[in-house]
Amino acid sequence: MIRALKLEWLKIRNYRTFWILLGMYLLALVIICFGGMFFLEYLKSQGANFDGIDPTILPIYDFPDIWQNTTYLGSFLKVLLAFIVIISINNDQSYNTLRQNIIDGVSKKEYLLSKLLFIAVLAFISTLFLFASGLINGAVYSHVWGASYIFDEMEFLFAYWYDIVILCTLAFLLSLVIKKSGFVIIALTLYTLMFEPIAGVIMTEAPFMKNGIWPHLVPYMPIHAINDLIEVPFPKYIFREIEDNVTISALVRSSVWLAIYLVGITFILNRRDLKS
Amino acid sequence: MSNTLEIKGLSKNFGKIKAVSNLNLTVDSGQVYGILGPNGSGKTTTLGMILDVVAPSGGSYRWFEGMQPIAARKKIGAILETPCFYPYLTAVQNLRITAHIKETPFSRIDEVIRQVGLYDRKDHKFKTYSLGMKQRLSIAAALLADPPVLILDEPTNGLDPQGIAEIRQLIKEIAANGKTILLASHLLDEVQKVCTHFCVLRQGVKLHEGSVNDILGETDEIEISSTDHARLKTELESFKGVESIFDESGHLVVKTINGTSSESLNKYCFDKGITLKRLVTRTKSLEQEFLKILKEK
Repeated sequence: MIRALKLEWLKIRNYRTFWILLGMYLLALVIICFGGMFFLEYLKSQGANFDGIDPTILPIYDFPDIWQNTTYLGSFLKVLLAFIVIISINNDQSYNTLRQNIIDGVSKKEYLLSKLLFIAVLAFISTLFLFASGLINGAVYSHVWGASYIFDEMEFLFAYWYDIVILCTLAFLLSLVIKKSGFVIIALTLYTLMFEPIAGVIMTEAPFMKNGIWPHLVPYMPIHAINDLIEVPFPKYIFREIEDNVTISALVRSSVWLAIYLVGITFILNRRDLKS
Repeated sequence: MSNTLEIKGLSKNFGKIKAVSNLNLTVDSGQVYGILGPNGSGKTTTLGMILDVVAPSGGSYRWFEGMQPIAARKKIGAILETPCFYPYLTAVQNLRITAHIKETPFSRIDEVIRQVGLYDRKDHKFKTYSLGMKQRLSIAAALLADPPVLILDEPTNGLDPQGIAEIRQLIKEIAANGKTILLASHLLDEVQKVCTHFCVLRQGVKLHEGSVNDILGETDEIEISSTDHARLKTELESFKGVESIFDESGHLVVKTINGTSSESLNKYCFDKGITLKRLVTRTKSLEQEFLKILKEK
Protein backbone atom coordinates (compact mmCIF):
# COMPACT_ATOMS: atom_id res chain seq x y z
CA MET A 1 0.00 0.00 0.00
CA ILE A 2 2.82 2.38 0.89
CA ARG A 3 4.46 1.39 -2.38
CA ALA A 4 1.35 2.29 -4.38
CA LEU A 5 0.99 5.60 -2.57
CA LYS A 6 4.64 6.45 -3.13
CA LEU A 7 4.26 5.76 -6.84
CA GLU A 8 1.58 8.44 -7.02
CA TRP A 9 3.56 10.78 -4.78
CA LEU A 10 6.57 10.64 -7.11
CA LYS A 11 4.30 11.61 -9.98
CA ILE A 12 2.76 14.68 -8.33
CA ARG A 13 5.56 15.84 -6.05
CA ASN A 14 7.11 18.10 -8.65
CA TYR A 15 3.97 18.69 -10.69
CA ARG A 16 3.23 22.36 -10.38
CA THR A 17 -0.22 22.23 -11.97
CA PHE A 18 -1.34 19.83 -9.27
CA TRP A 19 -0.19 22.04 -6.42
CA ILE A 20 -1.75 25.15 -7.95
CA LEU A 21 -5.08 23.41 -8.45
CA LEU A 22 -5.02 21.94 -4.96
CA GLY A 23 -4.12 25.34 -3.50
CA MET A 24 -6.95 27.06 -5.35
CA TYR A 25 -9.37 24.39 -4.24
CA LEU A 26 -8.38 24.67 -0.60
CA LEU A 27 -8.57 28.45 -0.80
CA ALA A 28 -12.09 28.21 -2.20
CA LEU A 29 -12.99 25.75 0.54
CA VAL A 30 -11.73 28.06 3.27
CA ILE A 31 -13.60 31.00 1.74
CA ILE A 32 -16.83 29.00 1.72
CA CYS A 33 -16.34 27.83 5.29
CA PHE A 34 -15.53 31.24 6.65
CA GLY A 35 -17.91 33.09 4.39
CA GLY A 36 -21.16 32.13 6.14
CA MET A 37 -21.25 35.00 8.56
CA PHE A 38 -20.21 37.51 5.89
CA PHE A 39 -23.01 36.21 3.72
CA LEU A 40 -25.53 36.68 6.50
CA GLU A 41 -24.19 40.20 7.08
CA TYR A 42 -24.69 40.83 3.39
CA LEU A 43 -28.26 39.54 3.55
CA LYS A 44 -28.90 41.86 6.47
CA SER A 45 -27.47 44.82 4.61
CA GLN A 46 -29.82 44.03 1.75
CA GLY A 47 -32.70 44.19 4.17
CA ALA A 48 -33.44 40.49 4.32
CA ASN A 49 -35.15 39.05 7.35
CA PHE A 50 -36.59 35.65 8.07
CA ASP A 51 -39.98 36.11 9.71
CA GLY A 52 -38.65 39.15 11.50
CA ILE A 53 -35.39 37.55 12.55
CA ASP A 54 -32.10 39.30 11.95
CA PRO A 55 -30.13 36.89 9.70
CA THR A 56 -26.86 37.43 11.56
CA ILE A 57 -28.19 35.86 14.72
CA LEU A 58 -28.84 32.56 12.91
CA PRO A 59 -26.59 30.08 14.75
CA ILE A 60 -25.06 28.54 11.64
CA TYR A 61 -21.68 28.18 13.33
CA ASP A 62 -22.99 26.56 16.51
CA PHE A 63 -21.64 23.16 17.43
CA PRO A 64 -22.63 20.58 16.39
CA ASP A 65 -24.82 22.04 13.61
CA ILE A 66 -21.75 23.63 12.13
CA TRP A 67 -20.62 20.25 10.81
CA GLN A 68 -23.69 19.66 8.70
CA ASN A 69 -23.71 23.29 7.55
CA THR A 70 -20.07 23.47 6.47
CA THR A 71 -19.89 19.99 4.98
CA TYR A 72 -23.00 20.76 2.98
CA LEU A 73 -21.53 23.99 1.61
CA GLY A 74 -18.07 22.52 1.16
CA SER A 75 -19.38 19.62 -0.87
CA PHE A 76 -20.37 22.03 -3.64
CA LEU A 77 -16.68 22.33 -4.40
CA LYS A 78 -16.02 18.61 -4.72
CA VAL A 79 -16.19 18.78 -8.48
CA LEU A 80 -13.02 20.91 -8.42
CA LEU A 81 -11.22 18.14 -6.62
CA ALA A 82 -12.48 15.74 -9.27
CA PHE A 83 -10.67 17.88 -11.86
CA ILE A 84 -7.38 17.07 -10.20
CA VAL A 85 -8.18 13.37 -10.41
CA ILE A 86 -9.20 13.72 -14.06
CA ILE A 87 -5.94 15.45 -14.92
CA SER A 88 -3.90 12.86 -13.05
CA ILE A 89 -5.58 9.91 -14.80
CA ASN A 90 -5.52 11.66 -18.14
CA ASN A 91 -1.78 12.36 -17.88
CA ASP A 92 -1.06 8.67 -17.47
CA GLN A 93 -3.05 7.94 -20.59
CA SER A 94 -1.95 10.73 -22.87
CA TYR A 95 1.73 10.43 -21.94
CA ASN A 96 1.43 6.66 -22.20
CA THR A 97 2.97 6.39 -18.77
CA LEU A 98 0.24 4.02 -17.61
CA ARG A 99 1.54 1.59 -20.22
CA GLN A 100 5.14 2.29 -19.25
CA ASN A 101 4.33 1.79 -15.54
CA ILE A 102 2.86 -1.61 -16.35
CA ILE A 103 5.77 -2.56 -18.59
CA ASP A 104 8.12 -1.61 -15.79
CA GLY A 105 6.36 -3.95 -13.38
CA VAL A 106 3.29 -2.31 -11.83
CA SER A 107 0.30 -4.62 -11.76
CA LYS A 108 -3.02 -3.21 -12.87
CA LYS A 109 -4.32 -3.82 -9.38
CA GLU A 110 -1.47 -1.81 -7.93
CA TYR A 111 -2.13 1.01 -10.37
CA LEU A 112 -5.80 1.07 -9.37
CA LEU A 113 -4.79 1.04 -5.72
CA SER A 114 -2.38 3.94 -6.21
CA LYS A 115 -5.09 6.09 -7.77
CA LEU A 116 -7.71 5.15 -5.18
CA LEU A 117 -5.31 5.99 -2.37
CA PHE A 118 -4.56 9.26 -4.11
CA ILE A 119 -8.30 10.02 -4.15
CA ALA A 120 -8.70 8.96 -0.52
CA VAL A 121 -5.83 11.18 0.57
CA LEU A 122 -7.12 14.17 -1.41
CA ALA A 123 -10.54 13.74 0.18
CA PHE A 124 -8.88 13.40 3.58
CA ILE A 125 -6.91 16.63 3.13
CA SER A 126 -10.11 18.39 2.18
CA THR A 127 -11.91 16.94 5.21
CA LEU A 128 -9.05 17.98 7.47
CA PHE A 129 -9.22 21.56 6.17
CA LEU A 130 -12.94 21.60 6.67
CA PHE A 131 -12.57 20.25 10.19
CA ALA A 132 -9.93 22.82 11.07
CA SER A 133 -11.94 25.72 9.70
CA GLY A 134 -15.01 24.37 11.52
CA LEU A 135 -13.10 24.40 14.79
CA ILE A 136 -11.93 27.96 14.20
CA ASN A 137 -15.34 29.25 13.17
CA GLY A 138 -16.96 27.41 16.04
CA ALA A 139 -14.47 28.89 18.48
CA VAL A 140 -15.34 32.35 17.22
CA TYR A 141 -19.09 32.15 16.77
CA SER A 142 -20.49 29.11 18.60
CA HIS A 143 -22.80 29.78 21.48
CA VAL A 144 -21.96 26.45 23.04
CA TRP A 145 -18.55 24.94 23.70
CA GLY A 146 -17.29 21.61 25.02
CA ALA A 147 -16.19 18.26 23.66
CA SER A 148 -19.69 16.77 23.77
CA TYR A 149 -20.92 19.47 21.37
CA ILE A 150 -17.82 19.81 19.27
CA PHE A 151 -17.41 16.12 18.53
CA ASP A 152 -21.08 15.41 18.08
CA GLU A 153 -22.27 14.68 14.53
CA MET A 154 -18.78 13.89 13.30
CA GLU A 155 -20.54 11.51 10.91
CA PHE A 156 -20.98 14.46 8.58
CA LEU A 157 -17.24 14.73 8.21
CA PHE A 158 -17.12 11.09 7.24
CA ALA A 159 -20.02 11.61 4.83
CA TYR A 160 -18.17 14.58 3.35
CA TRP A 161 -15.07 12.46 2.80
CA TYR A 162 -17.09 9.61 1.33
CA ASP A 163 -18.99 11.99 -0.96
CA ILE A 164 -15.71 13.29 -2.45
CA VAL A 165 -14.24 9.80 -2.79
CA ILE A 166 -17.24 8.59 -4.78
CA LEU A 167 -17.37 11.59 -7.09
CA CYS A 168 -13.62 11.33 -7.72
CA THR A 169 -13.96 7.62 -8.46
CA LEU A 170 -16.62 8.51 -11.01
CA ALA A 171 -14.17 11.05 -12.46
CA PHE A 172 -11.55 8.28 -12.62
CA LEU A 173 -13.93 6.03 -14.56
CA LEU A 174 -14.98 8.82 -16.92
CA SER A 175 -11.34 9.71 -17.62
CA LEU A 176 -10.71 6.13 -18.67
CA VAL A 177 -13.75 6.08 -20.94
CA ILE A 178 -13.42 9.55 -22.45
CA LYS A 179 -9.72 10.03 -22.97
CA LYS A 180 -9.72 13.79 -23.41
CA SER A 181 -9.49 15.59 -20.09
CA GLY A 182 -11.23 18.73 -21.37
CA PHE A 183 -14.28 16.74 -22.37
CA VAL A 184 -14.39 14.88 -19.08
CA ILE A 185 -14.15 18.09 -17.07
CA ILE A 186 -16.97 19.72 -19.02
CA ALA A 187 -19.10 16.59 -19.06
CA LEU A 188 -18.71 15.96 -15.34
CA THR A 189 -19.35 19.58 -14.38
CA LEU A 190 -22.42 19.92 -16.56
CA TYR A 191 -23.80 16.57 -15.48
CA THR A 192 -23.23 17.21 -11.79
CA LEU A 193 -24.45 20.78 -11.66
CA MET A 194 -27.03 20.85 -14.45
CA PHE A 195 -28.09 17.77 -16.32
CA GLU A 196 -28.89 15.53 -13.40
CA PRO A 197 -30.64 18.18 -11.25
CA ILE A 198 -32.70 19.29 -14.24
CA ALA A 199 -33.51 15.70 -15.18
CA GLY A 200 -34.54 15.17 -11.56
CA VAL A 201 -36.91 18.13 -11.69
CA ILE A 202 -38.40 16.94 -14.97
CA MET A 203 -38.88 13.44 -13.63
CA THR A 204 -40.71 14.67 -10.53
CA GLU A 205 -42.65 17.56 -12.04
CA ALA A 206 -43.39 16.82 -15.68
CA PRO A 207 -47.07 15.96 -16.09
CA PHE A 208 -46.36 12.88 -18.17
CA MET A 209 -43.83 11.54 -15.69
CA LYS A 210 -44.81 12.55 -12.20
CA ASN A 211 -47.49 9.91 -11.79
CA GLY A 212 -45.35 7.04 -12.97
CA ILE A 213 -42.29 5.38 -11.51
CA TRP A 214 -40.02 8.28 -12.51
CA PRO A 215 -40.13 10.38 -9.33
CA HIS A 216 -39.14 7.32 -7.31
CA LEU A 217 -36.03 6.82 -9.43
CA VAL A 218 -34.66 10.28 -8.79
CA PRO A 219 -32.95 9.47 -5.46
CA TYR A 220 -31.10 6.63 -7.14
CA MET A 221 -29.38 8.81 -9.70
CA PRO A 222 -25.61 8.91 -9.15
CA ILE A 223 -25.15 12.52 -8.06
CA HIS A 224 -28.41 12.66 -6.18
CA ALA A 225 -27.36 9.58 -4.22
CA ILE A 226 -24.10 11.11 -3.01
CA ASN A 227 -25.66 14.52 -2.41
CA ASP A 228 -28.17 12.83 -0.11
CA LEU A 229 -25.32 11.88 2.20
CA ILE A 230 -25.46 15.41 3.56
CA GLU A 231 -28.98 16.85 3.35
CA VAL A 232 -29.68 20.57 3.04
CA PRO A 233 -29.44 21.86 6.62
CA PHE A 234 -30.71 25.42 6.29
CA PRO A 235 -34.50 24.97 6.31
CA LYS A 236 -34.18 24.26 10.01
CA TYR A 237 -33.53 27.94 10.59
CA ILE A 238 -37.01 28.71 9.37
CA PHE A 239 -38.32 25.98 11.67
CA ARG A 240 -38.75 23.23 9.13
CA GLU A 241 -38.09 19.61 9.86
CA ILE A 242 -34.83 18.43 8.27
CA GLU A 243 -32.82 15.25 8.14
CA ASP A 244 -29.98 15.90 10.55
CA ASN A 245 -28.31 12.51 10.25
CA VAL A 246 -26.47 10.69 7.53
CA THR A 247 -29.12 8.21 6.45
CA ILE A 248 -28.48 4.53 5.90
CA SER A 249 -30.44 4.79 2.67
CA ALA A 250 -28.07 7.42 1.26
CA LEU A 251 -25.06 5.38 2.37
CA VAL A 252 -26.37 2.29 0.62
CA ARG A 253 -27.35 4.08 -2.58
CA SER A 254 -24.01 5.88 -2.87
CA SER A 255 -22.03 2.75 -1.97
CA VAL A 256 -23.74 0.85 -4.76
CA TRP A 257 -22.65 3.54 -7.20
CA LEU A 258 -19.11 3.37 -5.84
CA ALA A 259 -19.10 -0.38 -6.40
CA ILE A 260 -20.34 0.10 -9.96
CA TYR A 261 -17.58 2.61 -10.69
CA LEU A 262 -14.92 0.31 -9.29
CA VAL A 263 -16.15 -2.63 -11.34
CA GLY A 264 -16.14 -0.42 -14.43
CA ILE A 265 -12.60 0.80 -13.79
CA THR A 266 -11.31 -2.71 -13.15
CA PHE A 267 -13.01 -3.97 -16.28
CA ILE A 268 -11.49 -1.27 -18.47
CA LEU A 269 -8.01 -1.59 -16.98
CA ASN A 270 -8.01 -5.34 -17.49
CA ARG A 271 -9.50 -5.36 -20.96
CA ARG A 272 -8.06 -2.40 -22.73
CA ASP A 273 -5.05 -2.78 -24.97
CA LEU A 274 -2.60 -0.06 -24.07
CA LYS A 275 -1.29 0.51 -27.55
CA SER A 276 -0.54 4.05 -28.45
CA MET B 1 21.73 -22.39 -22.08
CA SER B 2 18.43 -21.57 -20.44
CA ASN B 3 15.64 -19.99 -22.36
CA THR B 4 14.62 -16.50 -21.46
CA LEU B 5 11.44 -16.23 -23.43
CA GLU B 6 9.22 -18.81 -24.97
CA ILE B 7 6.28 -17.80 -27.14
CA LYS B 8 3.77 -20.43 -28.15
CA GLY B 9 1.07 -19.86 -30.74
CA LEU B 10 0.63 -16.21 -29.83
CA SER B 11 -2.08 -14.43 -31.81
CA LYS B 12 -3.73 -11.05 -31.78
CA ASN B 13 -6.67 -9.85 -33.80
CA PHE B 14 -7.82 -6.28 -33.98
CA GLY B 15 -11.29 -6.83 -35.32
CA LYS B 16 -10.82 -8.57 -38.64
CA ILE B 17 -7.16 -7.70 -38.91
CA LYS B 18 -4.76 -10.41 -37.82
CA ALA B 19 -1.92 -8.41 -36.32
CA VAL B 20 -0.05 -11.49 -35.12
CA SER B 21 -0.97 -15.03 -35.96
CA ASN B 22 0.24 -18.17 -34.31
CA LEU B 23 3.72 -16.94 -33.50
CA ASN B 24 6.25 -19.32 -32.00
CA LEU B 25 9.59 -18.03 -30.80
CA THR B 26 12.27 -18.99 -28.35
CA VAL B 27 14.91 -16.59 -27.16
CA ASP B 28 17.80 -18.13 -25.27
CA SER B 29 19.69 -16.23 -22.65
CA GLY B 30 22.60 -14.24 -24.04
CA GLN B 31 21.17 -13.90 -27.51
CA VAL B 32 20.72 -10.58 -29.22
CA TYR B 33 17.54 -11.40 -31.01
CA GLY B 34 16.25 -9.18 -33.78
CA ILE B 35 12.61 -9.10 -34.80
CA LEU B 36 12.66 -7.81 -38.30
CA GLY B 37 9.73 -6.71 -40.34
CA PRO B 38 8.24 -3.86 -42.29
CA ASN B 39 6.07 -1.32 -40.54
CA GLY B 40 2.79 -2.83 -39.41
CA SER B 41 4.11 -6.39 -39.39
CA GLY B 42 3.17 -7.00 -35.77
CA LYS B 43 6.50 -6.34 -34.04
CA THR B 44 5.23 -3.88 -31.48
CA THR B 45 2.02 -5.84 -30.94
CA THR B 46 4.08 -8.92 -30.17
CA LEU B 47 6.24 -7.01 -27.70
CA GLY B 48 3.09 -5.48 -26.20
CA MET B 49 1.67 -8.93 -25.57
CA ILE B 50 4.76 -10.34 -23.88
CA LEU B 51 4.82 -7.22 -21.70
CA ASP B 52 1.16 -7.59 -20.74
CA VAL B 53 -0.11 -4.30 -22.15
CA VAL B 54 -1.88 -5.92 -25.10
CA ALA B 55 -4.20 -8.82 -24.36
CA PRO B 56 -3.44 -11.80 -26.66
CA SER B 57 -6.33 -13.29 -28.62
CA GLY B 58 -4.71 -16.69 -28.26
CA GLY B 59 -1.54 -18.50 -27.32
CA SER B 60 0.83 -18.04 -24.43
CA TYR B 61 4.28 -16.87 -23.46
CA ARG B 62 6.65 -17.68 -20.64
CA TRP B 63 9.41 -15.56 -19.16
CA PHE B 64 12.41 -17.14 -17.47
CA GLU B 65 10.90 -20.61 -17.71
CA GLY B 66 7.68 -19.74 -15.95
CA MET B 67 8.30 -16.77 -13.66
CA GLN B 68 5.29 -14.74 -12.48
CA PRO B 69 4.70 -12.07 -15.19
CA ILE B 70 4.81 -9.10 -12.82
CA ALA B 71 7.99 -10.30 -11.13
CA ALA B 72 9.43 -11.04 -14.56
CA ARG B 73 8.72 -7.53 -15.84
CA LYS B 74 10.78 -6.06 -13.01
CA LYS B 75 13.71 -8.03 -14.45
CA ILE B 76 13.14 -6.68 -17.94
CA GLY B 77 14.11 -3.26 -19.17
CA ALA B 78 11.75 -2.36 -21.96
CA ILE B 79 10.87 0.51 -24.21
CA LEU B 80 7.97 0.31 -26.62
CA GLU B 81 7.88 2.68 -29.58
CA THR B 82 8.12 6.26 -28.37
CA PRO B 83 9.70 7.21 -25.04
CA CYS B 84 7.01 7.59 -22.37
CA PHE B 85 7.77 9.99 -19.54
CA TYR B 86 6.11 12.80 -17.63
CA PRO B 87 6.98 15.96 -19.60
CA TYR B 88 6.75 18.15 -16.51
CA LEU B 89 9.37 16.14 -14.60
CA THR B 90 13.13 16.20 -15.06
CA ALA B 91 15.11 13.18 -16.19
CA VAL B 92 16.05 12.37 -12.62
CA GLN B 93 12.50 12.74 -11.32
CA ASN B 94 11.19 10.53 -14.12
CA LEU B 95 13.76 7.85 -13.43
CA ARG B 96 12.87 7.93 -9.72
CA ILE B 97 9.45 6.61 -10.70
CA THR B 98 11.04 3.83 -12.74
CA ALA B 99 13.47 3.04 -9.93
CA HIS B 100 10.61 2.92 -7.44
CA ILE B 101 8.68 0.48 -9.61
CA LYS B 102 11.74 -1.67 -10.27
CA GLU B 103 12.75 -1.56 -6.61
CA THR B 104 16.16 -0.22 -7.54
CA PRO B 105 18.08 2.24 -5.35
CA PHE B 106 17.95 5.87 -6.53
CA SER B 107 21.74 5.90 -6.53
CA ARG B 108 21.70 4.01 -9.85
CA ILE B 109 20.02 6.96 -11.59
CA ASP B 110 23.11 9.13 -12.00
CA GLU B 111 25.01 6.14 -13.28
CA VAL B 112 22.63 5.32 -16.14
CA ILE B 113 22.11 8.96 -17.04
CA ARG B 114 25.86 9.27 -17.42
CA GLN B 115 25.97 6.05 -19.44
CA VAL B 116 23.61 7.45 -22.07
CA GLY B 117 25.29 10.84 -22.09
CA LEU B 118 22.55 12.97 -20.57
CA TYR B 119 24.31 13.97 -17.39
CA ASP B 120 24.49 17.66 -18.27
CA ARG B 121 20.76 17.81 -18.81
CA LYS B 122 19.63 15.56 -15.98
CA ASP B 123 17.84 18.33 -14.10
CA HIS B 124 16.06 19.67 -17.14
CA LYS B 125 12.43 18.87 -17.77
CA PHE B 126 11.71 16.03 -20.16
CA LYS B 127 9.61 18.28 -22.40
CA THR B 128 12.68 20.38 -23.23
CA TYR B 129 14.50 17.36 -24.66
CA SER B 130 15.11 16.69 -28.33
CA LEU B 131 13.86 13.42 -29.78
CA GLY B 132 17.33 11.92 -29.57
CA MET B 133 17.64 12.84 -25.90
CA LYS B 134 14.22 11.39 -25.17
CA GLN B 135 15.27 8.17 -26.86
CA ARG B 136 18.43 8.07 -24.76
CA LEU B 137 16.49 8.66 -21.58
CA SER B 138 14.25 5.73 -22.38
CA ILE B 139 17.32 3.56 -22.86
CA ALA B 140 18.57 4.84 -19.51
CA ALA B 141 15.25 3.82 -17.95
CA ALA B 142 15.54 0.37 -19.51
CA LEU B 143 19.05 -0.02 -18.12
CA LEU B 144 18.18 1.33 -14.69
CA ALA B 145 17.54 -1.89 -12.84
CA ASP B 146 20.51 -3.56 -14.55
CA PRO B 147 18.09 -6.14 -15.95
CA PRO B 148 19.22 -9.42 -17.52
CA VAL B 149 16.85 -8.79 -20.43
CA LEU B 150 16.36 -5.69 -22.54
CA ILE B 151 13.52 -5.14 -24.99
CA LEU B 152 14.16 -2.35 -27.43
CA ASP B 153 11.59 -1.33 -29.99
CA GLU B 154 13.11 0.77 -32.77
CA PRO B 155 15.74 2.18 -30.41
CA THR B 156 17.37 4.39 -33.02
CA ASN B 157 14.18 5.84 -34.39
CA GLY B 158 14.52 9.56 -34.91
CA LEU B 159 18.18 9.78 -34.03
CA ASP B 160 20.82 11.49 -36.14
CA PRO B 161 23.59 9.35 -37.67
CA GLN B 162 25.93 10.03 -34.77
CA GLY B 163 23.22 9.19 -32.26
CA ILE B 164 22.43 5.99 -34.14
CA ALA B 165 26.07 4.94 -34.06
CA GLU B 166 26.29 5.69 -30.34
CA ILE B 167 23.17 3.78 -29.45
CA ARG B 168 24.30 0.79 -31.51
CA GLN B 169 27.66 0.88 -29.79
CA LEU B 170 25.83 1.00 -26.45
CA ILE B 171 23.71 -2.01 -27.41
CA LYS B 172 26.80 -3.96 -28.40
CA GLU B 173 28.47 -3.11 -25.10
CA ILE B 174 25.41 -4.21 -23.19
CA ALA B 175 25.26 -7.43 -25.18
CA ALA B 176 28.93 -8.06 -24.50
CA ASN B 177 28.07 -8.09 -20.80
CA GLY B 178 26.02 -11.21 -21.43
CA LYS B 179 22.58 -9.62 -21.42
CA THR B 180 19.76 -10.93 -23.53
CA ILE B 181 18.40 -8.35 -25.92
CA LEU B 182 15.24 -8.45 -27.95
CA LEU B 183 15.37 -5.81 -30.64
CA ALA B 184 12.53 -4.94 -32.96
CA SER B 185 13.46 -2.99 -36.02
CA HIS B 186 12.61 -2.38 -39.61
CA LEU B 187 16.21 -1.38 -40.24
CA LEU B 188 17.94 -4.40 -41.72
CA ASP B 189 21.31 -2.84 -41.34
CA GLU B 190 20.69 -2.38 -37.64
CA VAL B 191 19.77 -6.00 -37.06
CA GLN B 192 22.73 -7.12 -39.15
CA LYS B 193 25.10 -4.99 -37.12
CA VAL B 194 23.98 -5.85 -33.61
CA CYS B 195 22.03 -9.09 -33.59
CA THR B 196 23.15 -12.68 -33.30
CA HIS B 197 19.77 -14.17 -34.18
CA PHE B 198 16.76 -12.86 -35.96
CA CYS B 199 13.34 -13.65 -37.29
CA VAL B 200 11.35 -12.03 -40.03
CA LEU B 201 7.72 -11.09 -39.55
CA ARG B 202 5.28 -10.09 -42.22
CA GLN B 203 1.65 -9.36 -41.51
CA GLY B 204 1.97 -11.12 -38.22
CA VAL B 205 3.39 -14.32 -39.66
CA LYS B 206 6.91 -15.53 -38.98
CA LEU B 207 8.59 -16.12 -42.34
CA HIS B 208 12.07 -16.99 -41.26
CA GLU B 209 14.16 -17.58 -38.18
CA GLY B 210 17.85 -18.22 -37.80
CA SER B 211 21.25 -16.94 -36.88
CA VAL B 212 22.60 -13.85 -38.55
CA ASN B 213 25.99 -15.45 -39.31
CA ASP B 214 24.42 -18.38 -41.15
CA ILE B 215 22.71 -16.14 -43.58
CA LEU B 216 25.62 -13.81 -44.22
CA GLY B 217 28.90 -14.73 -45.83
CA GLU B 218 30.62 -14.46 -49.21
CA THR B 219 28.74 -14.78 -52.46
CA ASP B 220 30.04 -16.08 -55.75
CA GLU B 221 30.07 -12.64 -57.27
CA ILE B 222 33.21 -10.58 -57.74
CA GLU B 223 33.35 -6.96 -58.73
CA ILE B 224 36.27 -5.96 -60.93
CA SER B 225 37.33 -3.09 -63.09
CA SER B 226 40.37 -1.94 -65.02
CA THR B 227 41.32 0.96 -67.24
CA ASP B 228 40.44 -0.84 -70.45
CA HIS B 229 36.94 -1.91 -69.74
CA ALA B 230 36.12 -3.52 -73.09
CA ARG B 231 39.29 -5.59 -73.22
CA LEU B 232 38.80 -6.86 -69.70
CA LYS B 233 35.38 -8.07 -70.66
CA THR B 234 36.50 -9.92 -73.80
CA GLU B 235 39.39 -11.56 -72.02
CA LEU B 236 37.20 -12.72 -69.18
CA GLU B 237 34.67 -14.28 -71.50
CA SER B 238 37.20 -16.95 -72.33
CA PHE B 239 38.03 -17.66 -68.66
CA LYS B 240 36.68 -21.04 -67.60
CA GLY B 241 35.82 -20.10 -64.05
CA VAL B 242 33.33 -17.46 -65.15
CA GLU B 243 29.67 -18.17 -65.61
CA SER B 244 28.45 -14.73 -66.58
CA ILE B 245 29.57 -11.13 -66.67
CA PHE B 246 27.43 -8.05 -66.43
CA ASP B 247 28.01 -4.33 -66.17
CA GLU B 248 27.00 -2.55 -63.08
CA SER B 249 27.63 1.07 -62.17
CA GLY B 250 30.93 1.42 -63.97
CA HIS B 251 32.49 -1.92 -63.16
CA LEU B 252 32.05 -5.54 -64.11
CA VAL B 253 30.37 -8.09 -61.94
CA VAL B 254 31.62 -11.59 -62.54
CA LYS B 255 29.58 -14.53 -61.41
CA THR B 256 32.01 -17.37 -60.84
CA ILE B 257 31.58 -21.14 -60.89
CA ASN B 258 33.52 -24.14 -59.64
CA GLY B 259 34.71 -22.18 -56.62
CA THR B 260 36.87 -19.82 -58.58
CA SER B 261 38.53 -17.50 -56.09
CA SER B 262 39.26 -13.84 -56.51
CA GLU B 263 42.92 -14.77 -56.33
CA SER B 264 42.81 -16.97 -59.44
CA LEU B 265 40.76 -14.39 -61.26
CA ASN B 266 43.34 -11.76 -60.47
CA LYS B 267 46.15 -14.04 -61.66
CA TYR B 268 44.35 -14.77 -64.90
CA CYS B 269 43.92 -11.10 -65.67
CA PHE B 270 47.51 -10.32 -64.75
CA ASP B 271 48.77 -13.05 -67.03
CA LYS B 272 46.77 -11.49 -69.83
CA GLY B 273 48.48 -8.18 -69.15
CA ILE B 274 45.57 -6.49 -67.44
CA THR B 275 46.02 -4.82 -64.06
CA LEU B 276 42.87 -4.63 -61.99
CA LYS B 277 41.87 -1.41 -60.32
CA ARG B 278 39.21 -3.03 -58.27
CA LEU B 279 38.72 -6.53 -56.94
CA VAL B 280 35.96 -7.10 -54.39
CA THR B 281 34.20 -10.30 -53.45
CA ARG B 282 30.61 -9.43 -52.76
CA THR B 283 29.25 -10.43 -49.34
CA LYS B 284 25.65 -11.15 -48.62
CA SER B 285 23.74 -8.49 -46.81
CA LEU B 286 20.72 -9.07 -44.69
CA GLU B 287 18.89 -6.71 -46.98
CA GLN B 288 19.26 -9.02 -50.00
CA GLU B 289 18.44 -12.07 -47.94
CA PHE B 290 15.47 -10.31 -46.41
CA LEU B 291 14.09 -9.35 -49.79
CA LYS B 292 14.72 -12.89 -50.99
CA ILE B 293 12.82 -14.29 -47.99
CA LEU B 294 9.93 -11.91 -48.57
CA LYS B 295 9.84 -12.90 -52.25
CA GLU B 296 10.02 -16.62 -51.65
CA LYS B 297 7.03 -16.81 -49.34
